[in-house]
Amino acid sequence: MKRILTGGLFALSAVLSTASADDTDWAPTTFSLDNGMVVVVVPDHRAPVVTHMVWYKVGAVDEASGKSGLAHLFEHIMFKETDDLGPGEFDDIVSRNGGVNNAFTSWDYTAYYERVAKQHLGTMMALEAERMTDLIINDDPEGPFISERDVVKEERRQRIDNNPGVILQEMVLSELWKGHPYEITVIGKMDEVAALTPEDGMAFYKEYYSPENAILVVAGDVTPEEVRVLAEEHYGRIKPTGTAHGNRKWESVPLLTETKELEYSDPKVRQPSWSRYYNGTSESRDREFSYALDVGLEVLGGGMTSRLYQSLVEEQNVAINVNTVAWTTLHDEGPVVINASPAPGVSLEDLETAAMTDLEAVLAEGFTDEEVERARNKLAASAIYARDSQSNMANVFGSTLALGGTVDDVLDYPDKIRAVTTEEALAAVRKVFGPDRHYIEAHLLPAEGDS
Amino acid sequence: MKRIDLLAGAALAIMLAACTTAEPVTTPELTTAELIEEEAGLEVTTHEGDFAQIQQFTTPGGVSVWLVSEPSIPILSVELAWEGGEASDPEGMEGLADAVVYHMNEGAGDLDSLGFQTRMEELNMSFGCSASNLWTSCSASMLTDNASDAMDLIAEAFEYPRFDEGPFQRFVREQQVSLNTRETNAGYLAWRAQAQALYPDHPFARETSADSIATLTPELAKAHMRKLMVKDRLLVTAVGAVTPEELAPMIDEIVANLPETSDLPDIPAIDYTAADTFGTFVVPLPQPQSLVQFVAPGIKRKDPEFFPAYVLNYTFGGGGFKSRLMDTLRVQKGLTYGVYTSLSFGEKFQSWNGGGQTKNESAGDFIAGLKEEMSKISEGGVTEEELADAKAYLIGSYPLAFDSNAKIAGQMMSVRQDELGVDYFDRRNTMVEAVTLDDVNAVAAEYLAPERFSFIVVGEPEGLE
Repeated sequence: MKRILTGGLFALSAVLSTASADDTDWAPTTFSLDNGMVVVVVPDHRAPVVTHMVWYKVGAVDEASGKSGLAHLFEHIMFKETDDLGPGEFDDIVSRNGGVNNAFTSWDYTAYYERVAKQHLGTMMALEAERMTDLIINDDPEGPFISERDVVKEERRQRIDNNPGVILQEMVLSELWKGHPYEITVIGKMDEVAALTPEDGMAFYKEYYSPENAILVVAGDVTPEEVRVLAEEHYGRIKPTGTAHGNRKWESVPLLTETKELEYSDPKVRQPSWSRYYNGTSESRDREFSYALDVGLEVLGGGMTSRLYQSLVEEQNVAINVNTVAWTTLHDEGPVVINASPAPGVSLEDLETAAMTDLEAVLAEGFTDEEVERARNKLAASAIYARDSQSNMANVFGSTLALGGTVDDVLDYPDKIRAVTTEEALAAVRKVFGPDRHYIEAHLLPAEGDS
Repeated sequence: MKRIDLLAGAALAIMLAACTTAEPVTTPELTTAELIEEEAGLEVTTHEGDFAQIQQFTTPGGVSVWLVSEPSIPILSVELAWEGGEASDPEGMEGLADAVVYHMNEGAGDLDSLGFQTRMEELNMSFGCSASNLWTSCSASMLTDNASDAMDLIAEAFEYPRFDEGPFQRFVREQQVSLNTRETNAGYLAWRAQAQALYPDHPFARETSADSIATLTPELAKAHMRKLMVKDRLLVTAVGAVTPEELAPMIDEIVANLPETSDLPDIPAIDYTAADTFGTFVVPLPQPQSLVQFVAPGIKRKDPEFFPAYVLNYTFGGGGFKSRLMDTLRVQKGLTYGVYTSLSFGEKFQSWNGGGQTKNESAGDFIAGLKEEMSKISEGGVTEEELADAKAYLIGSYPLAFDSNAKIAGQMMSVRQDELGVDYFDRRNTMVEAVTLDDVNAVAAEYLAPERFSFIVVGEPEGLE
């Protein structure tokens, strides 16, 4: 459904994806317009369609104190009305041209997109250019801004408040990121969202929405030249506002200084779950370490062949599931999570003991070259499979550039993953689970008295 | 029967499940020499469609295949499907088809579960099977470079599946967990309420239970695999960097030892009318929102009313932001993050259904709003402009359904399952275009009156009449 929130609680580890750098027929082209807008063209000639995206370098990290949820609510408001487009007309035009459109907001960026037959690319650009410069925010106290605020409150209930596991995850992440802009989830706190005003929206628009703060990505059945001509025509005429600034509120996430345990019980929970959240890394801050960590966690708890799954689920039958994952695609450092759910009749305490005993044993013993090679190949091959989805390719390039990365960062992914050595993968995992590291432990439990 | 993946983290495990009783390892009966000899006579009929160039052929082994050759990405997607699924489970053995598909990538020949999964990783491939009410399906993706080795492994899975005790016990443990977690899953509870109200005695209403799971054994699952996966009901579609001549022997290797045919029970069609509805039904669940689902009798895929209904559904609730329900309940009133409608048009069960979530306090207003829109559209129909918008979107957006190998393989499989014909993709837009305002408004009047609908509310709703 529309206006989806990524980078939110469920963004887990959006696995990176791309292609090998050795064939070039699908390699993207990049250039900039005079007003500073960066353009990326990703050719895919299989079907006569395009994915058109505009990424803004603004997200929930940039919100002022007390205004949580503004970046995301504002994204909803971008669909409402402009000087030339009446209420709802943006969606009308896209739909009548056979297009689908949507948008999403993360802590780090906000992206708007249309997928459409290629002959309508210019129309889509005209629409996005119009709302980049001429948005109207209706300030009627009973008008569309207020009803959209109610929609976002329902979105929060649907995504988070209905789901005990997500409620607990929100609690854990705000501990892990305490004092960092990621502390509050992208959709915002209910009471702060309820207090956002049309004036907040307009101030946010003026501060962040401008061509020099935007990236255009077009994937599909087009040539770079076609895109350049259309982009010059529709976006090239837009003057920078002069107020947009690149000063993001990103900052390095400090290591936890104490270990905490959080518990959440709810009558809806019928299967307990045990997790630990450790300090991790991010591709933006340390790409090499991040890739080594991904490979190491794949061996440790990445799938059915992983060490932890084989021991806890297959041999000891104490878990119904176990996995390890790192959130590395945010700009700042995300958590490394180990999560397990007990087999029927097994207590969380016994599961924890078994999981940590195994984890320590694997870290002490080390990995074999064979299992590390399998993990590397699996991650590298995901870049080839990812090419089957045009919108996925547009997302990978857009998100990478919005975080300050480059097209080459994406293209080099398979080679860099394949270059990770057994020692590097092991060292990365040993570091994040090291005896000097603190963590947040989370127990999801049935309500008292429930079976 | 409805199965849901209840363990977010275990979804992969559920999909990939398997087993442990070792069988003697034998060599495949088809030799390479035989295959090369047989492939010489392959007759390929190419359908030059507007959206895909579909190559149809029957392998020397007798399997009918639809292939789209797509050389630009070095991957191959293959879909297999057999009519017959969960609804064919013998009564009291619910979960049997699920057990079958769980084990298909859990060991074959001399590879146990771990060996099989490891081999898939070495080949950078994926392979897994699933069952729905009426179909058993398998999907595989592989890199063209080692497609032959990947297909060898899949052939092992069909010819020498192990159904080992270890994976089987894991399947049972996962089922036991599901039996608990589904009881607080709003979507599952709504499905159950609908099934119990509208077709309580039909196989589609049956659920797994502790008792039914306890009757299952690896041997029963293995025997049932031989009933579900047979040659004469197999449909194959494929998309990727491969030619018919390359693909045919690989498919024949897969099916070499499948039984020719089997008898499965006939599944009767569900015959229900609006008179069977129960008004509004509440399933209590402690959470801040109420899930509201609504359902009424619908239309078959091959009915002349199908395309008018399909076009009308866009305007009513299928068209995302531009539907009447979204405009009223979300955009105007701010009551929900999303509300949708859709058509179920299978041969055995047809419905016009939909749903959305709203805070418990506004559940009454939400349902009142739904009924108001139902009255409005059934009594007043839609406008010429709405009809034109619906057609423009449905026709204009159709190419988006063909922009990836996975989508094309899936689209072709749907056409094969519904027996719509190889030229369906080319005819479809003409059928949408031919729908008239009178057609649409007649369907609206007949199907969308609020009194035809049952409402199921899961949560702690307030303000219901």
